[in-house]
Amino acid sequence: MARKAMLIDESKCTACRGCQVACKQWNDLEGWSYSKTINHGGYENPPSLSPQTWTRIKFTEHEDAGTFRWLFLKEGCMHCGDPACVAVCPTKALKQKPDGRVTLEPALCNGCGYCSQFCPFGVPQLETYGLFSGDAKISKCTFCQDRTDNGLLPACVKTCPAKALFWGDRDEMIANGKKRVDMLQKRGFSNASLYGETLVGGLGRLYVLIEKPEAYGLPVDPQYPVTTSIWQNVIRPLGKVALGASIIGLAAAWVIIRRNIKMEDVE
Amino acid sequence: MNTQAQNTAGHMVQIRWIPKYTFIERFLHWMHTVSFLPLLLTGLVLYLPSLQALAQGEAGIWMRLVHRLAAVLFIAEPVLYGIVQPLRLWLNIKEFSFDRDDLGWIKNAFGYYVLGRHADMPPQGRYNTGEKMNGVVMIASWGAFVVTGLIMWFGKGIVPAALFRWMVILHDVTMIAAVCMFLVHLYLAVAHPLMWAALVSMRFGVTSASYAAEHHAKWYYGPKRAKELYEAKKKMASEHT
Repeated sequence: MARKAMLIDESKCTACRGCQVACKQWNDLEGWSYSKTINHGGYENPPSLSPQTWTRIKFTEHEDAGTFRWLFLKEGCMHCGDPACVAVCPTKALKQKPDGRVTLEPALCNGCGYCSQFCPFGVPQLETYGLFSGDAKISKCTFCQDRTDNGLLPACVKTCPAKALFWGDRDEMIANGKKRVDMLQKRGFSNASLYGETLVGGLGRLYVLIEKPEAYGLPVDPQYPVTTSIWQNVIRPLGKVALGASIIGLAAAWVIIRRNIKMEDVE
Repeated sequence: MNTQAQNTAGHMVQIRWIPKYTFIERFLHWMHTVSFLPLLLTGLVLYLPSLQALAQGEAGIWMRLVHRLAAVLFIAEPVLYGIVQPLRLWLNIKEFSFDRDDLGWIKNAFGYYVLGRHADMPPQGRYNTGEKMNGVVMIASWGAFVVTGLIMWFGKGIVPAALFRWMVILHDVTMIAAVCMFLVHLYLAVAHPLMWAALVSMRFGVTSASYAAEHHAKWYYGPKRAKELYEAKKKMASEHT
């Protein structure tokens, strides 16, 4: 199945935040209690992704040669081609679908939160109900799995009035993104680029950026955490071998000693 | 406390019992057991894919809650020991010295514990080399479990993600070491035919005098006398051959 992707053209985004509203509306997320407006001297709102805010427009004040402009970035799950969150999830609540979407089944999640700590972008948000009990649930953008499963557009793409969001086959999205970058460069945006084509197995969320990624606060070279591979591919198999060998070894030792000694001699 | 018992040949034998562990020590030992086992079982649920069904949803939330409740007991146990019987704790810590007799024990351990040969096992203290190694692994793994566990429990989202990831790995590595040691410990305590006195000691606090003389000579006779007896035995054996 062809990989799907979302193309986000940040050169067209007007930061109306219709996507944020559509996301909350479709996914039935609360507006207030987890995403309180905090005035920290900017226009962005809410202040960060949260268990009830799966996408939001990040505002960056960018100054270049004395000229000021806003940079807008639609944050959310990157749907990596190599999703570390899926590798570390002990419940299979997180899954990578054949079309590349990283989906979430909340009923299976036990709240361990490994995904939130192994994600190279820090995207999954853990909603903690009790710190002592550990009761928690994870949440993140699923590309509106219930909509996209049925051939509909993700809610944010559907609603975007600036036509800055696109959804479709990943190859097509990459081609369109590159075309747009070419055009932007010809128009004088010399730093324009397409972000995410090859990062972490190829992202499912591609950005057309008008400035360098670091200007948006995006990681230039995000990595699938090496600790994920050590844990999943070395420690876990090693542990099983060690425990199995111990049990077999002790059983053999027991058989040998029962044959070698006479119980009557034991004082 | 003397016990009369009949041996298999029908002769009456006298077992003289001498004290080894206090009531508090035995209580804390079993408290450690009833916290370690639930910790292990609920932890394996996240570790073994074959137990995945138990990790999912409501069941998984229960597993994680039980893991935390047991962790409280697990953390409290050595702390209580230090508070209630600090001198006994110190007495045990002092046992952790290693010398030439420990090398001799290691050389002979396989022949004795696996093959059942009465080799020239050098005299041992209140704890033999194997028990001391078990103790070292237990103490080190306790510390590692507590530090990595508390960071994962209360530090998620506060400590850097890179640190958290290493804590997960270290917790697992510690588990592997601790469980291998636990399996050996369990085997020697309940299944090994020569180690019959160990479980008696942990249940009733006493050990047999003849067992102590044979297995813990440096504790029973004192180091000097134990060495003399050991040398004499070795000399006799070499004269016979």
